[in-house]
Amino acid sequence: MNYPIWDLPSSGLLIAGIAILHVFISHFAVGGGLFLVLAERRARRTGDAEFLGYVIRHSRFFVLLTLVLGAVTGVGIWFTIGLVHPAGTSSLIQTWMWVWAIEWTFFATEIAAALVYYYGWHRLDPATHLAVGWVYFWSAWLSLFAINGILTFMLTPGAWVTTRSLLDGFFNPTFWPSLVARTAGAAGLAGVYALVTAAWERDPTLRARVSRFAALGWILPMAVVLPAALVWYLAAAAGAGVPVAALLGARSGTATGILRALLSGADSGQPITRFAGMLMIWASLTCLALVLAAQWQRLRRAPRAIALAIAACALVTLGGAEWVREGLRKPYVIGQFMFVNGVRLPAPAPVHALAGAHAARVAQDPFDLAHLSRAGVLTAARWTRPASDALQGLDRTLHDGSEVYRLLCASCHSVDHYNAVRPLVRGRPVEALDGMLARLATPAAATGGPGEWTDPAVRLVTWRDRAMPPFAGTDGERRALAVYLASLGGATRESLEAKPAVADPGVAFFEANCAMCHGVDGQWPMAGRPRRDAAAFYELLGALPRINELMPEFTGSEAERRAVAAHLAVLTGHGSTPAPTTPALEIPR
Amino acid sequence: MTPLSTLALPLADPIAQPAPTWLLWTLLLVTFFLHVLPMNVVLGGSIIAAVARWRGRHGHAPSAALAGTLARALPTAVAATVTLGVAALLFAQVLYGRALFASSVLMAAYWLAVVPLLVLAYYGTYVVSYKGDRPGPWPLVSSVVALLFMTIAFIYANNMSLAQRPDTLAAAYQADARGLHLALGDPALLPRYLHLVLSAVAVAGLFVALLGVRRRQREPRQAEWLMRHGGLWCGAATALNLVAGSWWLLALPRPTIVHFMSHVPAVALFAGVASGMVVAGLALAASFAKDPLSLVRATAATLVLTLLLMVVSRDQLRVISLGDAGFTRNDWVEPQWPLTLLFLVLFTAALGTMSWMVRALYRTARPTD
Repeated sequence: MNYPIWDLPSSGLLIAGIAILHVFISHFAVGGGLFLVLAERRARRTGDAEFLGYVIRHSRFFVLLTLVLGAVTGVGIWFTIGLVHPAGTSSLIQTWMWVWAIEWTFFATEIAAALVYYYGWHRLDPATHLAVGWVYFWSAWLSLFAINGILTFMLTPGAWVTTRSLLDGFFNPTFWPSLVARTAGAAGLAGVYALVTAAWERDPTLRARVSRFAALGWILPMAVVLPAALVWYLAAAAGAGVPVAALLGARSGTATGILRALLSGADSGQPITRFAGMLMIWASLTCLALVLAAQWQRLRRAPRAIALAIAACALVTLGGAEWVREGLRKPYVIGQFMFVNGVRLPAPAPVHALAGAHAARVAQDPFDLAHLSRAGVLTAARWTRPASDALQGLDRTLHDGSEVYRLLCASCHSVDHYNAVRPLVRGRPVEALDGMLARLATPAAATGGPGEWTDPAVRLVTWRDRAMPPFAGTDGERRALAVYLASLGGATRESLEAKPAVADPGVAFFEANCAMCHGVDGQWPMAGRPRRDAAAFYELLGALPRINELMPEFTGSEAERRAVAAHLAVLTGHGSTPAPTTPALEIPR
Repeated sequence: MTPLSTLALPLADPIAQPAPTWLLWTLLLVTFFLHVLPMNVVLGGSIIAAVARWRGRHGHAPSAALAGTLARALPTAVAATVTLGVAALLFAQVLYGRALFASSVLMAAYWLAVVPLLVLAYYGTYVVSYKGDRPGPWPLVSSVVALLFMTIAFIYANNMSLAQRPDTLAAAYQADARGLHLALGDPALLPRYLHLVLSAVAVAGLFVALLGVRRRQREPRQAEWLMRHGGLWCGAATALNLVAGSWWLLALPRPTIVHFMSHVPAVALFAGVASGMVVAGLALAASFAKDPLSLVRATAATLVLTLLLMVVSRDQLRVISLGDAGFTRNDWVEPQWPLTLLFLVLFTAALGTMSWMVRALYRTARPTD
């Protein structure tokens, strides 16, 4: 909201597309560098001219892919995040400028070394050539080291939240497991790419030798190290407060619990993150199976097709893994600092003290949650499209609602495409949407009880674990957004303009708090459920989280509880007439 | 419901600037200067290479040889351009990011198009480099590559123009937020772009002349032609640029010109113009001289000085334009000296390593290079 918003449906997909392509090449740029120097050294030590010839041809492919597509897509990610998340990008640039600058010195050395290595095959003596290869690899790996610090900071900023110390932010809780996982992934990818270039070798014996070297020396070790590193990574993320199990829909945070949830399906969790995790697992298993099969058959049959299939599976695996990482970070763009829509958390007290003479800049941040809730997002935003004075009544509300939607929701949701919002709100009444918006995310203490947004260890309790940021704005803006969403969901002007009837308090409470899931168009409608009387529902309302852990505690008054129970009895067909009732469920204790 | 806000420049983040402004400004200017050297060789060199390839196709042997030489040089020049551009963009974003992010979003579709266009152009330089000696449609491919680089330059000129006129962004955003705006309504755009392209041709012309200086022992006749030919490109482009530059200055908003001219940095511009006149004279003289060697060397020294002065002038023009539009710098500065020192040490180490590698490569250079 500090910056203009690019009206692009599915802008998140744009970042994902470029990022996955870049990561697939940039990890090869690291692992492939090590592959080149070790393969060259092996060929020179054994006097294997054929193998050396392959390494030279592979290096040409390496340079053409990494220097052009790898480097330019890296710049492309920078361009893209600046367009889609300018506020987040600006914060990262300001915070990490010297680390980016240091990373650039490695990047520049890496590019120069790659060119000298490639052009130096027949011009440098072997020792110098190998030395240049090592310069290349270490520069590339150090570049990964630096970027890994910033990427993991975005997920688990650690003590930086209160100390603002770059060392705390850089060597954060997921830094080391992520570094091991990425290094292992880079080595594995080097093997995958070597299989691809080997498949284009004309000599079948050389092809088989290279593919064996790539599979046994590079891919299979990665298949052992990488899963272990990922388990370490997920455990570290969970330890730092990332709700790993909840987001993946798992009942426990153990490796088997997560695997079971991803492979067998679950009702909870963030659906896209869960799908990405499932895709990653199946693609990696397929990749491994193909590598083993290709070894057994020695690539005699259709070596190019098999190699390309392996590369495709590796791409899907890596894409899935990166998507899971992004999903775990949601709804933050920078953990415990900024949400994906550019709204910042109010700074914890120690940060005010650290700011010294500039404490007012921190305390009066117009884009933090507290200020937006007071002043309103439409007032605070620097780039909105104002309504004309002619717009009044419902038209004005719809306009304001659409602007609030652009400011707070459009960074993740499109209306009809990726992460489409229309199917999610179809048929939902305004009251249900308003109630859902009010509880998108609430702060919780690390111990699980109610928390404060200014708590440095604050955890998020999000509606149905959907990893949404809290609504930031006034009650009026939330209502306008609810009206706009209801209109997207098909509500007619008449129904939106109709003044809500003085409803039964049970109906009103149900519509505002339960109807998103249990209304007529909800995933679990009450209609058609076993008939129970009001007394049975009264008991059930007192134990909602024990019936289903995704349901919140009933927070209404005693009168509302009785009224809702009566309404539920009507919804299940019990009505006001005496009828045989199903006994109340046995409530787990 | 509260009224909708009016549009304005983005506010500074509640984050301290990690270095003093003077240091960031110095780093920006140094890296930008280092970036424009290969960038001009790429942009101008691709144009000269395309022309040389067409002339070579029609039997002009020196042009055919020049096209081959430029084809082999361009991929490395693109790599240097991208690499050095990354650093310049980083420091520019720290200092002027609020304006740059906003202008980039306004023209997001075109700005992002730089990535695929650059990939295509970059691969184009490699294709011509590898295959250009064989029969094929290489004049056409070279021309497409030049057009791609010219398109990228046009997009950059638009973004830098938009970023310097934040007063125009609000109305554009109100009208359409699909990222499809260009600065076509800005009368300064065309002369700015023309100035950019002509500068590139001038620097690339000098690069061609310097290729001649380097080869004067091995291929004296071709070397002499290269010096004269490069001098002609450089001199003619610089002479035309004096006109284009004046047009650009006059096309700027009147208050900006008055403000700029009343400040000390205007001295850099006047010195740059004077230096540019000397470049044009020296380069044109080299193109007609019997022994152009010393004239080419003098042109090179003067052109580097001109570029430096113009880089400073360009930056100060931006500072004044943005200041007039209400842009204020981040006044919360907390230098991170240990990291600054680490950067400088690693930067020095990187320069040393690169220098060692390149010297090792050229110690055993092939006779044809």
